Amino acid sequence: MYIIKNAFISIFRNKGRNILVGIIIMVIASSCAITLAIRSSADKIVTSYENKYPVTVTIGMNRANLTKSFKENASSQEEMIENFNEIEPLTIEDIETFGDSDYVSKYNYTYSVSLNGKDIEEATDSLVKETTTTKTETETKTETFTNPAPSRGDHMPPFGGDNGGSTETKKSTTQRKTTTTQVENIRNERASKGVFTLQGYNSYEAMSEFISGNYTITDGEVSSDFTSNNCVISEELATLNELKVGDTITLVSPDDERITYDLNITGIYKENTEEASDMRSMFSNSVNTIITNVTTVKDVVSKDEDFNPTVSPTYILKDKDDIEAFEKEVTDKGLSEYYMLSDNIETIENATKSIISVKSFATTFLIITLIIGAVVLLVINMINIRERKYEIGVLRTIGMRKSLVSLQFMFELLVVCIVFLLIGAGIGGLTSVKVSNKLLANEIANAETDMDAINDNFGGKMRDFRPEEMGITQLETIETMDAIVDVKVLGELLLIGAGLTIVGSIASMVSISRFSPLTILKERS
Amino acid sequence: MNKKANVVLRLEDVSYRYKDAKKDEYVFKGLSYAFEEGKVYAIKGKSGSGKTTLLSLISGLEKGYTGKIYYRDKDLSKVKLDKYRNSDIGIVFQSYNLLVHLTAGENILLSMNINGMKEHHKKEYVNSLLEQVGLTKEHAKRRVLKLSGGEQQRVAIARSLSYHPDIILADEPTGNLDKETEDDILKIFKDLAHKENKCVIIVTHSDNVVKASDEVFELKSTKKKD
Ligand SMILES: Nc1ncnc2c1ncn2[C@@H]1O[C@H](COP(=O)(O)OP(=O)(O)OP(=O)(O)O)[C@@H](O)[C@H]1O
Ligand SMILES: [Mg+2]
Repeated sequence: MYIIKNAFISIFRNKGRNILVGIIIMVIASSCAITLAIRSSADKIVTSYENKYPVTVTIGMNRANLTKSFKENASSQEEMIENFNEIEPLTIEDIETFGDSDYVSKYNYTYSVSLNGKDIEEATDSLVKETTTTKTETETKTETFTNPAPSRGDHMPPFGGDNGGSTETKKSTTQRKTTTTQVENIRNERASKGVFTLQGYNSYEAMSEFISGNYTITDGEVSSDFTSNNCVISEELATLNELKVGDTITLVSPDDERITYDLNITGIYKENTEEASDMRSMFSNSVNTIITNVTTVKDVVSKDEDFNPTVSPTYILKDKDDIEAFEKEVTDKGLSEYYMLSDNIETIENATKSIISVKSFATTFLIITLIIGAVVLLVINMINIRERKYEIGVLRTIGMRKSLVSLQFMFELLVVCIVFLLIGAGIGGLTSVKVSNKLLANEIANAETDMDAINDNFGGKMRDFRPEEMGITQLETIETMDAIVDVKVLGELLLIGAGLTIVGSIASMVSISRFSPLTILKERS
Repeated sequence: MNKKANVVLRLEDVSYRYKDAKKDEYVFKGLSYAFEEGKVYAIKGKSGSGKTTLLSLISGLEKGYTGKIYYRDKDLSKVKLDKYRNSDIGIVFQSYNLLVHLTAGENILLSMNINGMKEHHKKEYVNSLLEQVGLTKEHAKRRVLKLSGGEQQRVAIARSLSYHPDIILADEPTGNLDKETEDDILKIFKDLAHKENKCVIIVTHSDNVVKASDEVFELKSTKKKD
C-alpha cells in the first residue's frame, strides 16, 4: 500500500515534529511502565502478607452473651454454675464438622487439659505468681491460645462490655469486675483443677507460637512425631524441677491420684515476652503449659471421664470475603450462642494498608499521566494538522480520499507511538526493576531469614518445611525486565499506545473532513 | 466526427454563490458552455470575476452550484469526485501545489498511486513524463523545494499528465513565470491538446496565453454589472 510508504517518507521528512511527539510518548510510556511495575510489586507484597497472615477464624467464648444470659436467668450463684455447666463444650467432632467447609482451606486445633504433676512443681516465681492469682488468665489462654491476632481485644469485649453508657461508666466497671470473678470461679470449679495445662497440637503448622517466634526452643526440639507421648516444657519449669531433654515427667489426674501419664521431654522452650509485651499477662502462665500433640491429649482424656478438655480451633479460610458466609455456616451447623468467631482480618488489613495506598497512589498517578499525555498529544496533533493543512489540501486535490488521508496520518502517529512506546517501556522497565526491587527488598530479606528462624524456633534442625505452609512467600529479586514488564503489563502498555493513537487521530480525522481543499490551497497562495 | 462526440465537458445554466455571500450575490449566473477535446481554452476575465471559482466547480473541488456540469454525459453531481479528480482531470495551479517534503519523482508517483494505475516500469515512466515537460531524470531525485518555480510548474504538469486524464485544468499556470518560460509551458499545453487530443482549459490574465489558445471564454463579473 502506497500510503504506508508515504507515511514512512513523511515520518522521516518531519523528524523534528515526530521526535517531539516521541519524547512525550516516551515519557508517558516510561512513567506508565514504572507505575504498572509499582502496582504489580504492591500486589506481590500484599499477596506475601496475605500468605504470611492467612485469614484465620478462631472460636472462643462469647463473653457478652454469657454474661447477659447469666444475669437475666440466674438469681443465685448456684444457678449460674448450673447454667454454665450446661453449656456444651466444643468437641473435636464439632471442630471437624465446622472445618468440613468449602470456605476452609485447612484448619488445625489445640486440645488442652488440666493436670497435676507428680514429683514436679509448678513454676511460681514472683512474676508468674502475680499473674496466676488472677485466675482469668488461665481460661483466657486455653480458650484463645491459637488466635494469632494481636488485636483480639477489639473483637472480644470483656465481660459486661456492652452495658452502660458513658454516664454509668463507673458503675458498670464495678459490675463487670464482680461478674468476671464469679464466672471465672465457675470455670475453675468445672475445669481448672490441675496446675499444669497439657496442650496438644496436631501439626507444626498449628504451633503458631513457634512460627511467630513467641516460643523458641532453647534445647532439644519439637518432635516431629505427633503420635508419641513427647512433650516440650518451659525453661522455668525445667529449671525449677531440674529437668532436661530426655527426662520423663509424670502427670496425674486432679480427680484421681491413681490415673497417671508419662511424657518424654524432647525440648525446652522459652517465651520471648518482649515480642508480645502487650500479651504478656495473657500468656505469662504459659510457663506451666506442657506442649504435646493431640494424640497424647486424647489418650490422657480417655483415661478419666471427669476430664474437661478444651479445644481451640483455627480455621484458615480460602478467601477473606468468605468470613461472613463461614460464620453463618458454622452457626447453622449448631455452634452455641455462647461461642463466637473472631477473625484476624483487621490485622491483615492494617499490615497491608500502606502498601495498598501506594498502589492506589500509583493508579491515580497513572491516570493523571495518561490524561495529561492524551491532552498534550491531542494539542500537538492539532498543531501538526494545522501545519500540514497544505499537504492535506494537495492530497485531496489530486484525488486522495479523505479516509485514506486520515489513515495515512493515523498510521504515521501509530508508528511514532509504537517506536517511542517501546523505547519508553524499555527505559521505564529498567527503572522499574530498580524501583520494584527496592519495594520488594524488605520482603525478600524477610522471607529468607524467616525460614531459618522458624527452623530455629522448633529446635534448630533443618526440616522439610514447605515455606508456603509456614506462611512464607518466597519472593525473588527481579533480575530482568520481563519479570516485571510481563506480558500483561506489555499488553496494558500497548492498549495505552493504541488509545493515545486513537485520541491523536481523532484530531486529524475531524480536521481532514472539515477542511475544503480549495480553501486550504487558497490560504497558501 | 460528429460534434457532440468531441465534447468532454459541458456547463448547463450554471450559477454559483458562496454560502457566506449575500442572498443575491452570485459569482456568476446562468453559464452554459461546451469544452471539446483537442483544443486549448483560455478563460479570461477581471480579477474577482470568478475564474478560479469556475475552475473549482469543474474540478469538483467546490459543490453547491445550481445547473448542471457534465463530464462526458455524466452528471458531475452524481460522480465520485475523488475518483474523477485522480483519473479524469489533471489540475495545475499558479502556486504549483506540490508536496514539498517529497522529490519531484515522488510527487508524480504519488498521483499514479492514488489513481491506482498499473505501470510496470514506474521509474522509466516518470522520467519520460519529466522529459515531456522539459526536465531530466536528475530532476526526479531532487526535493521540490530545490527546484525553480518554472521547474516546479513543469513537475506539476507532469504530475497532472501521469494518469492520462482527458482534461487539464490550469489556474494561471504561468502567473509566476517569466515570458520565456511561459512560452515553453504554453508549448507543452498546445502539444497536449493538438497531439494528444486533450482538452486544456487555462485560466489567465495574460494576453500571451489568450493568443496561444484556440478558444476564449470570457467571464463577466455579475456583481459589477448589477
Ligand atoms: N471562499 C469564498 N467565500 C466567499 N467569497 C469568495 C470565496 N472565494 C472567492 N470569493 C469571491 O468570489 C469572487 C470570485 O473569486 P475568484 O477567486 O473566483 O476570482 P478570480 O476571477 O479567480 O480572481 P483573480 O483573477 O484575482 O484570481 C470574488 O468576488 C471573491 O471575493
Ligand atoms: Mg483566481
